[in-house]
Amino acid sequence: MTTLSNKPILECTGIERRFGGIVAVTGVDLVIQRGEIFGLVGPNGSGKTTLTNAITGFYPPNEGTVRLAGKNITGTAPHKVAKLGVARTFQNLALFNGMSVLDNILLGRHIHMHPGVFRTAFYWWAARPEEVENRKIVEEVIEFLQLESIRYELVDGLPIGLKKRVELARALVAEPQMLILDEPMAGMNQEEKGYMSRFILDARDERGVSVLLIEHHMDVIIGICDRVLALNYGEMIASGIPKDVVKDPRVIEAYIGGSHG
Amino acid sequence: MFYRLSGVYHSSLISDSRMFKVPADRNLAVFLLLIGLAAPFILPSLYLNSYILPWLIWTAAALGLNLVTGWAGQLHLGYAAVMAVGAYSAIHTVRLGVPWEIALIIGGLAASVIGSLFAFAALRVKGLYLALTTLAMQFVMDWVLTHSPTISGGSHASLQAPTLALLGQQITSDAGYYYVALGWCVLVTIFMLNLKRTGLGRALVAVREKDFAAAILGVNSFYYKILAFAASSFIAGVSGALLVATFYFLAAPEQFSVNVSIQVLAMVIVGGLGSIIGSYFGVALILLVPGLVNGLVVTASEELGMQVNVETLAHIPNAVYGALIVIILMIEPLGLGKLYGNIRDYLMTWPFDQLRK
Repeated sequence: MTTLSNKPILECTGIERRFGGIVAVTGVDLVIQRGEIFGLVGPNGSGKTTLTNAITGFYPPNEGTVRLAGKNITGTAPHKVAKLGVARTFQNLALFNGMSVLDNILLGRHIHMHPGVFRTAFYWWAARPEEVENRKIVEEVIEFLQLESIRYELVDGLPIGLKKRVELARALVAEPQMLILDEPMAGMNQEEKGYMSRFILDARDERGVSVLLIEHHMDVIIGICDRVLALNYGEMIASGIPKDVVKDPRVIEAYIGGSHG
Repeated sequence: MFYRLSGVYHSSLISDSRMFKVPADRNLAVFLLLIGLAAPFILPSLYLNSYILPWLIWTAAALGLNLVTGWAGQLHLGYAAVMAVGAYSAIHTVRLGVPWEIALIIGGLAASVIGSLFAFAALRVKGLYLALTTLAMQFVMDWVLTHSPTISGGSHASLQAPTLALLGQQITSDAGYYYVALGWCVLVTIFMLNLKRTGLGRALVAVREKDFAAAILGVNSFYYKILAFAASSFIAGVSGALLVATFYFLAAPEQFSVNVSIQVLAMVIVGGLGSIIGSYFGVALILLVPGLVNGLVVTASEELGMQVNVETLAHIPNAVYGALIVIILMIEPLGLGKLYGNIRDYLMTWPFDQLRK
C-alpha cells in the first residue's frame, strides 16, 4: 500500500489561462499528494487539457503559480519541466511515426542521457555504455507493459490501444515524479480499459509515481482515483472523493444538464 | 534465400545494437569496402578519378545534407554555400602555411559557424519559409564570394589549391586522391550509421516528427536544430575542401552556386530522406547517369546510323534523366533507398514469404 505523505508533489494555486477574450481556465486550485492518483473530470471544453498545458509549460498560465515538489515551475519551458520530473501523454497520441516502438520508448530516456555529436562519432567508447544502461531500463518497462512482441515494429501501424500503451511506456521510462495522463483510455473497449487501469495502479504502487488522470470514463475514475476535481467552463465545480463528486448536483448538471435545461 | 534470417538471435543488448543486425548486411558492407579499397587496381584511373572519386565526395556531402534535411527535417537550400565556406577557408589556411589536416578541420569549423547562422533562421521559421531563408543566404554567400577579391580572387578568377599533403605525405597520384575521398566518405558513413542507433539520431527524428511531443520528453528542439545544422555544415565544409583539393584543384565561386545547392538537395531526395544507402544511389543517379545516358545516346545513334545534331544530343540526356527522377519519385516517394529496402525486405525471407509477419 502507498502511504500518503503530507508534502504535496504538485500544487497549483489560482491558475488562469486566457486565449484572447476566452477564459479557458480560471481560479483553479489543485493539490496532489505524493503517491496519489488524482482524477480530473469535466465535459468537453471545460479546460482539463488547458490546465495540463499550463502545468507542463505549453501554455503558461496568465495568473497563478504551479509548484512541483515545492519548487515554482510557473511558465517553465516544456523541455525543462520534463527534466524536473514531469511526464505526460497526449489525448491525440504523440508517438513518432517512422520509428520503432523501441526507439519511441528509448526517447523517453532522453532526459537521463547525454546525446551529442562526439558521442555519436565515437559510439563504441562514448555512447554504447550509456545506450545499453538505458536500454535495460526500457526493457524493464517493456516487460511491465507487456510490449515484448511488438518491440521492433513501427508505431505507425499499431492499433490505438497498443499505441496508448507505448505512449504510457515512453512516459514511464523517464522515471517521472509526476505523470499526467490525458485520456489514456479514449477509444478503448472494456477489456483494454481494465488492462490500462491495472497498469496505472501498478505504476503508482511499484514505481511510486503520482498520477494526474484526465478521463471521461466515470467507472475508471471511481475505480482507481483517490481524489477527483471536476471542472466546467474553466472553473472548479467540485472536488473530493470520487463517489461524492459524481453525485454532486453541479457535476451531474454539467454532464447531463439540470432540471431546467 | 539471399539474406538468411534464420539462426540470427541477439542474446545481449550490445549485439542487439550492432550497426548491421543482419550478418548478410554486414558481409555486404565489408565486401563493398574491400572492392572500394581494391578499386585503383581494378579500374583505369580515368574512370576512378573522374567518376568514382566525385561520387564518393558528393556522397559524403549529401549525407551531411541528409542529416539536416532527412533527420532533423529542416529544408536547406544553401548547402553549396556552406561547402564553399569550408573550401575557401581550408585553402586560405593552407596558403598561410598550416598543414592540410588542421586546415581541413578549420575549414569544417568555419563552415559550422556560418552554417549555424542558417540555423538561427531555422529556429524562427519553418517549411517553405525556411527554404526561402536558406536560399537567400545562398545568394548572399554567392555575392560575397564574387565580390571579395581577398577570398576568391574576384568574379572570374579561380583560386589554386595547394598540393594536398596528409600525414607528411604529398599526395599527387590518382590512387592517393581516390583513397582520401574514400576515407572521408567511409568516415561520414560510419558517423551516420552511428547516428541511427544513438540518442542524438532519435532526438533529431523527434524534432522532425512532432516538436511538442519532443519537448515533453525533454528534447530541446532549439538546441538540436542548431546541432544538426552545425554537424551537417562541418561535413559540408570538409567535403567542399576535399572536392577542391582532389577533384577541381581550382576553387571558383560558380562551383558552389545555387544550382549546386539544388543538385545536392535533389541527390538527397531522389536517394531518400533519412536513408544512408539512398544517398549513395541518389548521388550516383544525379552525378553519373547524365554521362551514361549521353554515352548510350551517342552509341545508339551511331549504331542506327542516325544523324543526330549536336544540340539534340546535348538535350536528350537531360530529358531522359529528368524523366528518370520523376518516374522514381512516382514509384517510391521515399526514393531509391526505400526501393532498395523493399527489395532487401522481400529477399529477407524469400522463398518462405509466409514466415513474414
